[in-house]
Amino acid sequence: MAVYALAAAGAVTIVAVALIVLALVFYLVSTIVALRKITAGLDEVIAGVGEIVEKSAPVNGVVTTINEQLDAGVELLEGLLVKKAGMADALGLVDGLYPGAAAAGFRAFPDSTTTEVPRIGEVYTLGTLTLARLGREAPIAAASPEGPVLRNPAYASAAARGLYPEVRQTHPASLPKSPVIGTGAPVQYEQREDIGAPRKRLPGRTVLAEPHPEGAGGSGSGAPGSGGEPEQGNGSPDETIRWTRGGERE
Amino acid sequence: MILWWIGDMVLLVVILPVVVYLLKGVLDAAKSIVPSVDEIAKTARAGSKDLDAAALLLTTQDEVKQTVAVVADYGGSLDVILDDAR
Repeated sequence: MAVYALAAAGAVTIVAVALIVLALVFYLVSTIVALRKITAGLDEVIAGVGEIVEKSAPVNGVVTTINEQLDAGVELLEGLLVKKAGMADALGLVDGLYPGAAAAGFRAFPDSTTTEVPRIGEVYTLGTLTLARLGREAPIAAASPEGPVLRNPAYASAAARGLYPEVRQTHPASLPKSPVIGTGAPVQYEQREDIGAPRKRLPGRTVLAEPHPEGAGGSGSGAPGSGGEPEQGNGSPDETIRWTRGGERE
Repeated sequence: MILWWIGDMVLLVVILPVVVYLLKGVLDAAKSIVPSVDEIAKTARAGSKDLDAAALLLTTQDEVKQTVAVVADYGGSLDVILDDAR
């Protein structure tokens, strides 16, 4: 009896161990398969990342060069603008075109962030600003080619009016009177003797269409207007213009 | 004899479920990594394909150089024809 019980206990032990081993084999093999899939996927990842690294290697240098070129262009344009318009007007012009941009200032001019920006855009239109910035040779500055600066921040509207070649903004004591027109005007537009005289008789015009075969040698064609030309008279009002052949007057 | 039977019961009731539970957890974790790695591989391929246009940056660089040179020429001309600020 004891031997059978011992054998049964050993058999159960063997079965339990066998089950554990089977579980270990099953799950470990499945894990190995999954890890192999992961390895294959990571190989693809490494290949893709390698391509990314290879393709993006020169990007840093190229972008740095592009930024340097663009920075040089920006510094050039900012320097030119400040040189030609002055710091305050340059900032005002930039702020007029791009509201709020003057707060950032110019890159090459650190003190531009502390400069008081005039409100150019509220006084001048874009076209006026463009013309004004063209310099004293611009048409808008023709009235005062030797005058002061084009824009006065304190009296901007008056300065804007002063840019135009017109005398009314100077408030003169008297302006030239308007011209008198009409027949009673002291100065006639066309000063001619025949104006106001009796109308002359208008000259008549006659065209002879009959051909003149016995006429002087022409081109031979009898059609009117084919060989001759209309010839005017000596200027008298009663003279009749006749069609001639070959330039011969009738 | 009784201890042997107790050991058998512990082996079947405790050890075997614990082993199975732990191995199943490892297997599930390994299987969950596979789709993630596949997505990463797909993204890496797409990123590599997107960078095919990076070579055009050389053309952009030349264009920028030429543009800045033209701007510099215009700026030099404007510097000559316009008066400086007073």
